[in-house]
Amino acid sequence: MELLWDGLRRGAELILGGDPDVVDITALSLRVAVTSTILACGVGVPVGFVVGTTRFWGRRAAITALNTMLAFPTVVVGLVIWGLLARRGPFGGLELLYTWWAIVIAEVILAAPIAAALTAAAVQGIDPRVRRTALTLGATPLRAHLAVASAARFALLTAVTVAFGRVLAEVGAAMIVGGNIRHYTRTLTTAVALATSQGDFALAMALGLVLLALALTVNVILQLLQGRGDA
Amino acid sequence: MLEVRDLEHGYGRRNVLAVDTFTIQTGTVTAVVGPNGSGKSTLLRVLAFLETPRAGILRLDGAPIRTPAERRRARRRVTLVEQTPYLFAGTVQENMAYALSLHGIRRTEGTGRARQALERVLASDLAQRRADQLSNGEAQRVAIARALALEPAVLLLDEPASAADRATSTRLYQVLDEERSRGAAVCFASHQLEDAYRWSDHLVALADGRTGLVTPENLFRTVLPDGGGSKTARVGPLDIRVVTDRVGPVTLAIPADEVLVSNTPLQSSARNEFSGRVVRISEHDRDRVTIIVDVGVDLAARITPSALKELDIQVGATVVLAVKALAVRVF
Repeated sequence: MELLWDGLRRGAELILGGDPDVVDITALSLRVAVTSTILACGVGVPVGFVVGTTRFWGRRAAITALNTMLAFPTVVVGLVIWGLLARRGPFGGLELLYTWWAIVIAEVILAAPIAAALTAAAVQGIDPRVRRTALTLGATPLRAHLAVASAARFALLTAVTVAFGRVLAEVGAAMIVGGNIRHYTRTLTTAVALATSQGDFALAMALGLVLLALALTVNVILQLLQGRGDA
Repeated sequence: MLEVRDLEHGYGRRNVLAVDTFTIQTGTVTAVVGPNGSGKSTLLRVLAFLETPRAGILRLDGAPIRTPAERRRARRRVTLVEQTPYLFAGTVQENMAYALSLHGIRRTEGTGRARQALERVLASDLAQRRADQLSNGEAQRVAIARALALEPAVLLLDEPASAADRATSTRLYQVLDEERSRGAAVCFASHQLEDAYRWSDHLVALADGRTGLVTPENLFRTVLPDGGGSKTARVGPLDIRVVTDRVGPVTLAIPADEVLVSNTPLQSSARNEFSGRVVRISEHDRDRVTIIVDVGVDLAARITPSALKELDIQVGATVVLAVKALAVRVF
């Protein structure tokens, strides 16, 4: 128990003291997480929207596929991406392996299905009259979709938040394709894993606290937005 | 104005509509009557270009509407008010403004239009109210006002007065009358036969998704006594045997195709037998003739031309009509 408290105290000191390593790792983590979330939602939300609102042949299969992709083991995704980006792999020429873009690619593959599946569930739950009413009042199909999105905005926000959370907390794939290189591909999660194995419990604790703080901040913002919507 | 032909529509394996022909003329009010589940709402959604039918042709002003782009353009001239209408989050005023903005109507013009439309349905005082705080009746009136503000060429309404009291209901139907005068083609669905008769120029009966199976002539309002199974309903001077568990106010429908016609009383299983004078004979086509018999109320029977000839039925002749209790539909 003492170890834990000691780690917590020294971790807090590192954060408050603005330890360059902590700042550096946090900045990279945020950059990776924000970029991946934007790309994952850019793909996942429209796909989820289509799957959730339109009837087409193979729709059930698409939903099953999406739900299966939710359970992708992150290390397996990391392994496949590694194989694709490795020098001898089909995309080796791009020289992306062990860069932060490699981590982004893996995270997008992991987070896009989450955004898609949650979006599909969100818009499926929307009263079908929303779309019909917009259409009969003269809306174009695009504006009718916007009306549905507006009605589902809190659930869509949740989809984005969950995707962000997944990306921020993911460690397996980031470790494999990023390589955990200091200043380049060392994210909060991979750094925690390394610091712990090296016995630097204080640093691990400090980084863990930052991760928790980030998760908390995002959720508080979400709560505030939802609260305003209820008023 | 708006016309459908050979319409077929359904969901999954279930067929909901099979309508040979249905037209809503400019400057007229058409009423679609029928029991719950008869396909009224589905028909209106198809007419509003919100659902694409499995088969059939829709024409607006004579032009066939087939492609998504044509349907999109048509929707700007045809507006549907659903029975339980949806109002968007925000105030009544914002709902009006949203609808007008979809039609590209500028705010200055839109405000006046919105106010007028709300006034017409006795909803002026609701303008600043939040949509989710309205009663069902208020929401229905606001939705009608929202449609009126768009001045559609075709106005479709599903049970427009279902949540209104008597006075408001009368006002709402008067508004439809005004829309007709403006030159709109109006069509409303109702299960209230009196309303349909009173406020429409044309009345179309829908049963099991088909028009004409039940003729409006054979629809009767009555009050059924308590108890289940076989019972007697009073319609004018007639006692009609029906089989139903329904009690209280209902509409009875006797499909004209299922009325047997003979010259003499029948020894048959039919529980209902009425004698009366033929008042009208109308030939629909080569295969069908409808005769209207005054048996205390006017009752229509549809028979083949050969049967008509064989029985030598003429206007003024006395005939006997027989209807099985099970053939009488209750809704």
